[in-house]
Amino acid sequence: MWSKARNILAGDTVILWLTRDALQPLIIEPGKEFNSKFGSYRHSDLVGIPFGSKVGSRTGKGFIHVLRPTPELWTMALPHRTQILYLADIAFITSHLNIKGGSHVVEAGTGSGSFSHSVMRSIGSSGHLWSYEFHETRANKARQEFLRHGLSDRVTLSHRNVCKDGFTVIDTADALFLDLPAPWDAIEHAKKALRKDRIARICCFSPCMEQVLRTVSALNDAGFTDITMYETLLRPYDIQQTPALPTIADLSHKLKQSELRREEKRLKQIASGHRGGSEDENNGKLKLPRVSASGAGYESSSSLSFGEKRKREGAEGENEEMLSGEPVGGKRAKTEEEDVVVVAEDTQSSTPGDVPMTDVPLSLKVERSSGEEKSEMPSLVQPMKINLSKVMPEVRGHTSYLTFACLLPPLPTEVTNESSEKASIE
Amino acid sequence: MSIFTSPTAEDVNGSTLKIQSGHNVLARQPNGDVRSIKIDRDSSNSPSSTVAVGRLGSFHANELIGHPYGFSYEMVNKQLKVLPVRTLEEVEDTDATNELINDGEFVQPLTLEEIQTLKQSGVHASEIIKKQIEQHANYSLKTEYSKDKYKKRKEAKYSKSFTTIEPTIYNVCNYWFNKDQNRIRDIRPDTLSQILTMANIQPGGRYLAVDDASGLVVAAILERLGGSGMLLTICDTDSPPAYPVVANMNFPPDMVQSVLISLNWANSEQDYVSVHAPVEVPVDEIRSDRQKTRLRKRKAAYDLLENTREELFGGEFEALVVASQYEPSGIIDRLVPYLAGSASIVAHSPHSQPLVDLQNKLRNTPGFLGPSLTEGWLRQYQVLPGRTHPTMNTSGSGGYILHAIKVYDDPTANSVIIPRSQKTKMSIDCGAVHSAAATPTLLSSS
Repeated sequence: MWSKARNILAGDTVILWLTRDALQPLIIEPGKEFNSKFGSYRHSDLVGIPFGSKVGSRTGKGFIHVLRPTPELWTMALPHRTQILYLADIAFITSHLNIKGGSHVVEAGTGSGSFSHSVMRSIGSSGHLWSYEFHETRANKARQEFLRHGLSDRVTLSHRNVCKDGFTVIDTADALFLDLPAPWDAIEHAKKALRKDRIARICCFSPCMEQVLRTVSALNDAGFTDITMYETLLRPYDIQQTPALPTIADLSHKLKQSELRREEKRLKQIASGHRGGSEDENNGKLKLPRVSASGAGYESSSSLSFGEKRKREGAEGENEEMLSGEPVGGKRAKTEEEDVVVVAEDTQSSTPGDVPMTDVPLSLKVERSSGEEKSEMPSLVQPMKINLSKVMPEVRGHTSYLTFACLLPPLPTEVTNESSEKASIE
Repeated sequence: MSIFTSPTAEDVNGSTLKIQSGHNVLARQPNGDVRSIKIDRDSSNSPSSTVAVGRLGSFHANELIGHPYGFSYEMVNKQLKVLPVRTLEEVEDTDATNELINDGEFVQPLTLEEIQTLKQSGVHASEIIKKQIEQHANYSLKTEYSKDKYKKRKEAKYSKSFTTIEPTIYNVCNYWFNKDQNRIRDIRPDTLSQILTMANIQPGGRYLAVDDASGLVVAAILERLGGSGMLLTICDTDSPPAYPVVANMNFPPDMVQSVLISLNWANSEQDYVSVHAPVEVPVDEIRSDRQKTRLRKRKAAYDLLENTREELFGGEFEALVVASQYEPSGIIDRLVPYLAGSASIVAHSPHSQPLVDLQNKLRNTPGFLGPSLTEGWLRQYQVLPGRTHPTMNTSGSGGYILHAIKVYDDPTANSVIIPRSQKTKMSIDCGAVHSAAATPTLLSSS
């Protein structure tokens, strides 16, 4: 398979990661240049650097990452000739079919070779893949690709319609995968290709339920057992870092303030505009004391919660003049008193718990509580940043239903005799 | 002769070909529960070793040895009778409905005691079911589907049969997931398959793994490697941990020993000098053969440890797989230096938060490319002729997977345009500056 060396050599296939959504395969041929909107690069400059290097463009603007190919990167970068299988399906099928080092696998059709590459990775050099494709051009393209990726000894690719002509192997496959429009036509052939001395497994990949139903009854008629059907996908998450969510306490304080300002403005207007209207005057007289009272209450508020809100406002840098104002200073002192109380309470409450754990030096304890104080202060000041995650707005959904079945070896006759015979030999 | 003795095509792993003495065999009971049973051949100290399948019954272990996996058996007098392979039965639809069937009606005159007596007298399960059906007042009113369900339910209750399950990693993962998903940190078979795929595990590869999931990840990588390559695990215990899941795989011992080595976290620190008894003792100080043996063993253990450390510090591992209860970012920081360029980093967690934080950190750290967080989704369908639908219950989550690629950074390389992420970062930074400026004001005036 692809190069396992540390450094890139001429002739290697690499994957260029331009962005998350733009990957591109490239064969290193010194003398050539790679140009894109992400800069320009000489192939010869990539020779000798390690796989996984970030490389800056010769123009000084733009960079790319030069990666070692994997079947997954290849799938993301490959030129799609057909609808291809994606990671969730490929992974699940591989695992369910028990494809591992040394497995003999049969697949039809080859398609764009996405599943083929993944299988050849998983079976290693001691396994083998027989791949069948009925579309001649696609078969040839895939053959060239396998050759270029150094996979020729792991794969036998045939241009063949397996529904009509069957497979070229008998009693061989541990696992068989059918990605065909009418898999039911290939199931009797598949049965011949699967090995009979142990459990062999099959997977049929069909996008439509109607296909699944026909496949299931064909599998059943052919004597397959353990027929199960799954649908699987990956839900990608979008992660963002944002300041801590705004609180309604802040909001309601803001609303109160704006209400206050509006009322003050109205009263000012009344004071400057009207001088007669007794009703208005009455209103003003009635309201003025209330407003000023609440205003004063706010300015010299003794409540901690109010102080907190003020500080938050300050942190947001919205009310700086207020912060420098005299009453604010007074209030701040108040808040601190509160803090001290909190700390004292904390130390008290933590002391009984600490006693059995014993001899924590006093200095340590003091340090601890002062540490708490410190951590308490900024948390009053707020904005920690938080990480939020949600599922991406669009998830690549259903590609196909995966129908699995097992083919058991022929039923042993006279099992009891035989095993006791075996036991007596041993 | 039969399939059991004929030489078969070579299986590199050999392990799962046939049931052998010493294997842990997964047995599915008629009610769907799966148990692990240990099969040990008769020996001088247990001349006829029997195996119990829960409370269903028991059988002589020798009966099963040499069989391929996958058959169903009925236990009759400690003997095993192979049951014919079951296929899906077409159920003919009739006009019957549940129109005339009401809950809570007295329909079964056969009492529990009578059934018990029948069971004890050794009557076959199918006879008991037949009797129950005969006496059932409303059986003929049921739809054919309902009759089928009834029969299956009764069979699950009375049948003394089981089916052997091949210990593939898929089946073993499924068994553990249903048995105790906490112990395997919620790794579901589909999630496990994604971990292996994202980590690009292949025979002959060299991998680092941190497995606090009872060895599920270790078992899966070992199976893929098939005895070639290397798996170095970092563990939180003094000595190499027993990974219990590995026992279910029935690997031949050399398939594990030739591949798996372990270090604990202390020894994975490059500047740590392990504390140990002296390894080299002058020849004239050796007083007995016993001491000699002890020294030899000590030396072997010491050499193994030092070699394993060398292996780790030599680096160039092809992937790192983490399924750990410990804080992930510290694990990544510690082990990523030993990864080759372009290597995959895969971290699993049953919780999204630690990986969300990790993704956010890696995104802003040079040397990590394309960190992404995904969650697997899996839906099974019942596929019975005429009755195909998604299963009633489904697993909620198999946990979350973070994947990233290790790259070598080039700080001098400049981007063409300012990517959006950087713009956001700048605005966040501005926010930080703002609040930072505000903080001292608050503090200084106090």
